[in-house]
Amino acid sequence: MMVKLYLWGKLNLLPKIKILYLFLCLIIFSNANSESYVKAGESLIWDSENKNYTANGDVEFSNDKFIAFADKMIAFYIEENDEEIFTIVELFENVVIEFKDEIFKGNYAIYTREDNIIKLTGEVSIKSPTRLLTGNELIADIDNNKRILNSANKESLVEVLLENNAND
Amino acid sequence: MTNKLNKKIINIIIIIILGLQFFIYLINQKPFTENFSQKRISVENFSSIVLSKSGITKIGSEKLNKIDENRIYLEGESYLENKEYKIYGKNISINLLDEISSSSDPVKVINSMGTLNAKGFKNLDYDGKIIFMGKVEFVTKN
Repeated sequence: MMVKLYLWGKLNLLPKIKILYLFLCLIIFSNANSESYVKAGESLIWDSENKNYTANGDVEFSNDKFIAFADKMIAFYIEENDEEIFTIVELFENVVIEFKDEIFKGNYAIYTREDNIIKLTGEVSIKSPTRLLTGNELIADIDNNKRILNSANKESLVEVLLENNAND
Repeated sequence: MTNKLNKKIINIIIIIILGLQFFIYLINQKPFTENFSQKRISVENFSSIVLSKSGITKIGSEKLNKIDENRIYLEGESYLENKEYKIYGKNISINLLDEISSSSDPVKVINSMGTLNAKGFKNLDYDGKIIFMGKVEFVTKN
């Protein structure tokens, strides 16, 4: 009788522990995903009057969408529900943005959180595992998974097939 | 004749005594002022509030050194707290007139966006700007 009760209790308890474990995992996972960071090698200026942060020297910016590297960054924020949220991120000089398996490069980039669009200008390139494209302007629509590459003239728009694709 | 001479001598003695008393008074004044100001120069385990452009800022440190009327130096573990941020650092200089605080020691800042670590800072409170120097890492919640 005691063994039966023990087993009955154990069987009832196990699913609850499993659910609790899954629930805790979900909380930890969601928190980890919502964290982003800014790293600067030289300085970071917080301008509370103009509501922005300016980072200088080997800047690294990361959010839940991408990781960006540049020489300088200005990130504008708004206050929402007693919290500050980055709305526009501008990147200057030697801009490299890593988004999933793609790498975008340019001289200047601007990211707007509202529409999740990254716009790069200057000597722009987009590199994926299979191809490399270069131009003067790149608009990367993250939500709709669209890439628009513009060029000033025909010569500046180049498409290069990378080795992975060439072997196929 | 003798009476007149005695009166003169007495007057001279009184004047000399008064002069001596005044001299003693002056000498006594100096050490008193020094002791008084020395007491105000440094305070241990200090905390206070400062009213600036960004509102009321609470300051505290292991030891406060008053440099002059407008400048104070927070020696050892120190902090500045107001409604916008909490700055925890070491050896922070504050200029009350220019509303500038700074430190070249590592600093940790907590604001409504996240937590920041830097090698030093300069807080231009009047301009609403804080410059964090050296390698900076700012972990944000969004």
